Amino acid sequence: MLEVTDLAVSYGGLRALAGVSLVVGAGQFVTVVGPNGAGKSTLFKTISGIVPPTAGSVRFEGEDLLAMPASRRAHLGIAHVPEGRQVFKAMTVRENLEMGAYPMAGRHAWVRMLDRIHTLFPILAERAGQFAGTLSGGEQQMLAIGRGLACAPKLLMLDEPSMGLAPAIADLIFDRISQIHREDGLTILLVEQRVAEALELCDRGYVLETGRIVLEGPYEILAGDDRVRRSYLGLDDA
Amino acid sequence: MSDPQILVENILNALTAGILIGCIYGLMCVGLGLIFGVMRVVNFAQGDFLMLGMYAAYYLFTGWGLLNFLGPYAGPLLAAMLAGPIVFAGGVLLHRFIISRVSGLRTTASLDEGHFGQLIVTLGVSLILQNGGLIVFGSSPRSVRTPLSSSAWVIETPFYDSLIFLNKARLLSSVVAIAVAIILYVMLERTRLGRSLRAAADNPTAATYAGVDVDRAHRIAFGLGSGITAVAGGLIATYISYSPFAGLDFVIIMYAGVVLGGMGSILGAFWGGLTVGFVQQFSGLILPPQLQNAAIFVVFLLILVLRPQGFFGRSAERA
Repeated sequence: MLEVTDLAVSYGGLRALAGVSLVVGAGQFVTVVGPNGAGKSTLFKTISGIVPPTAGSVRFEGEDLLAMPASRRAHLGIAHVPEGRQVFKAMTVRENLEMGAYPMAGRHAWVRMLDRIHTLFPILAERAGQFAGTLSGGEQQMLAIGRGLACAPKLLMLDEPSMGLAPAIADLIFDRISQIHREDGLTILLVEQRVAEALELCDRGYVLETGRIVLEGPYEILAGDDRVRRSYLGLDDA
Repeated sequence: MSDPQILVENILNALTAGILIGCIYGLMCVGLGLIFGVMRVVNFAQGDFLMLGMYAAYYLFTGWGLLNFLGPYAGPLLAAMLAGPIVFAGGVLLHRFIISRVSGLRTTASLDEGHFGQLIVTLGVSLILQNGGLIVFGSSPRSVRTPLSSSAWVIETPFYDSLIFLNKARLLSSVVAIAVAIILYVMLERTRLGRSLRAAADNPTAATYAGVDVDRAHRIAFGLGSGITAVAGGLIATYISYSPFAGLDFVIIMYAGVVLGGMGSILGAFWGGLTVGFVQQFSGLILPPQLQNAAIFVVFLLILVLRPQGFFGRSAERA
């Protein structure tokens, strides 16, 4: 479904990504983990067309994403839930969701998706008329995910959904993401610093370090890898 | 005539004139506020869009007389409203070829970087429009004069039998101004296009992720903001006379109004303009006309000191 090949990105001569390749198949849950500054968000921003790459290709269902303006991606069925939530603060919760449903597919599926979003996150129904800027961090994250779902996407990209959240709230968010994957069969690409939780959810994972993929494979392989166990999972029982 | 009668009459007339003029100031502020709110571009040429609106109305009604057949009531008002789409088109082209090079995603993200380019460009556009206007329109003062410009409806009040004079041209113009402002407001609040403009203003990156072409949203906002201010210009044209440099007088009023209302708030911009109209008319009771703009600035500074976010500025937001 999504195919990233040999992607390289530089910020003013500084290499952020080098030769990153990654594949997300339809219906899969794929995770990219790695430490701060590994280039995870850069990878997402490049896929979303906000950051231009110096080399490589990004294809979605056979179409060349790099050849089209950033705003086209939502219309193709890619929902990007950005790092730091980025809700429309001066708009109400309901209006945020309506903005999520801006593409045609979202408008057609509006009633169904709104119902689904409210089932997943009942708080969003309660707060429908409230300005998004007045929500708590956890609620804003729920809203950001809801906004992503509102366009009835084929691929949901989540950038650090647990960032800055209390552990209990982060767990709830992970539960919901897993629920969306299981029950709706939605394809998910997740970038996350909480490696243990993220790897547990995924079908396949990539480990990104200083702009390179250093390890990839299904959950069992990654979780069994010594380096991952020591560096990310905090296990030292080799 | 007794002294209290004159005093009461002056106050009542300043009040009504303040409302009537304030509504039109409000409309022009809404145009500027829309451009700043969505694009974060400080547009120095806004006063000259107002001037273009005045001349568009002049040529449509008085100059070429295309709308003369509509009579003195509907004719000038329709001419003012038609100035909107004309200047809208000009604004869209201006954004497409010039403004978009110094604005957009790159500059909306940061408040300090990239604004120098905008200042220089819009100042340059302003100078070109003023001096180009001088070449094309000539320097002799124009106005969209009808019998309404100098006639009034008179209302008798029970207070000391004082009379309120409602200038017909001003009254009709302010009614149109309110109507246009309401239409714009409903458009922004209720329609898909309006929502996408607000989303692009609120968070351009997130709007892009949601599928909004932010560059196009900016173009529409710039065109709308120019057009709205031009309508206000066309409305003012029914009761004052002006030259191609008329924009200079009003750009100050517009900025005062927009800052008073809270930068980025459309509703606030209208109230800000209304307030400026009030202050101007009331200061006329005690100050000579040359000092009326000074009074506006005193109030402006007071508000900046006491309530820096403006009347309608948003302060209740989490980071």
